Amino acid sequence: MSTVNFAAREINFKIVYYGPGMSGKTTNLKRLYDHLPEERKGELVSLATEEERTLFFDFMPLELGSVGGFKTRFHLYTVPGQVFYNAARKLILRGVDGVVLVADSAPSRLRANAEALRNLRENLAEYSVQLSDLPLVVQLNKRDLPDALPPEMLREVLDPEGVLPFFEASALHFQGVLEPLRGVSKLVLEKLAQTA
Amino acid sequence: MVNAPLKLYGGALQATEQALTALLGKSRARYVLVIDRRGFVLLHQRAPWAPPPPSLDALASLVASNYSATAALAKLFGETRFQELMQQGAQVGTYLEEIGSQALLVTVFDPRTPLGRIKHLSKGAVTEILAAQRLEDGAPPELPFSALLSAAQGPLLEAFETPLSAERSNPLSPTGALSADHTGPERSKPGLPKGGA
Repeated sequence: MSTVNFAAREINFKIVYYGPGMSGKTTNLKRLYDHLPEERKGELVSLATEEERTLFFDFMPLELGSVGGFKTRFHLYTVPGQVFYNAARKLILRGVDGVVLVADSAPSRLRANAEALRNLRENLAEYSVQLSDLPLVVQLNKRDLPDALPPEMLREVLDPEGVLPFFEASALHFQGVLEPLRGVSKLVLEKLAQTA
Repeated sequence: MVNAPLKLYGGALQATEQALTALLGKSRARYVLVIDRRGFVLLHQRAPWAPPPPSLDALASLVASNYSATAALAKLFGETRFQELMQQGAQVGTYLEEIGSQALLVTVFDPRTPLGRIKHLSKGAVTEILAAQRLEDGAPPELPFSALLSAAQGPLLEAFETPLSAERSNPLSPTGALSADHTGPERSKPGLPKGGA
């Protein structure tokens, strides 16, 4: 649910990067921070362990521009990937407007990807949100791995009905990082416009 | 769906801003902020003598997340809520009060300011803000829904165009398939509430 601030004439959206541990959620945010122009982005905040694993979340605000006299602002969050931090994942999902599911293309992580999607569905249900009602795109990350699974196989597991936008990426090399964010932002804006 | 955590237009906005100004002046706090519980800044004021604040977006995000985590912690112990959220350091302290069910008042103060004073004045400001919310102010300003729909088709998302330098360096697929949008069949109205818009 987007937040409107009439005093500042802003419409605010919350986008969450979700996925299994080590799939590249934080890398996405770091690369975005490295490449987006200064005037668009705010400070990148990371709450991580000493081993640089996300403990609570990473956060970066992003301003896209004005529409009809209202500024459009996006807050980007990642969740911790490790399963024992599920309580934190759930908190971050509160009030989410759109999700980028960051899937790992490594063969050994196929089950972890499916588990992350199942976990997302369960955690959203606690806020009475159906996954099918939420703007969602899938980023197939680590496509540069020599043994990366075929995209068709990943889609078969994550989206057998073939209804979700998929994007191939190597976030580490800033490949395919902007496209899923653009994709989910478009869905979020369209959803808001359709509520008029 | 659009959510306005507080009525921040017309007389309600004016009264809310006055409540914040009074809180800032009487408490000698550095900054006062009204944020929503998702971590977005709604209003903020800074004392003339105070140093520039840190990133307000980061501050609001951390405070709101801390609030959520504390509420979850209370639930773990079977409590409905913990009463206060406060941090005190050598140079600065923060104090949090709920404003209704959707917003929070954050007061950032120097340690030389007595905490009791901050608490008392913050609670008073919340009472005034809630009273302001009950003022009759007519309809809120209209939101530019049709303009948003047009902007979503392109202009607003130009910031997300892939820079040429990134496309040219380190190509990962000889077919250029990387980063392709593998959009499946059009999702049936993604995000539309069930039962139609």
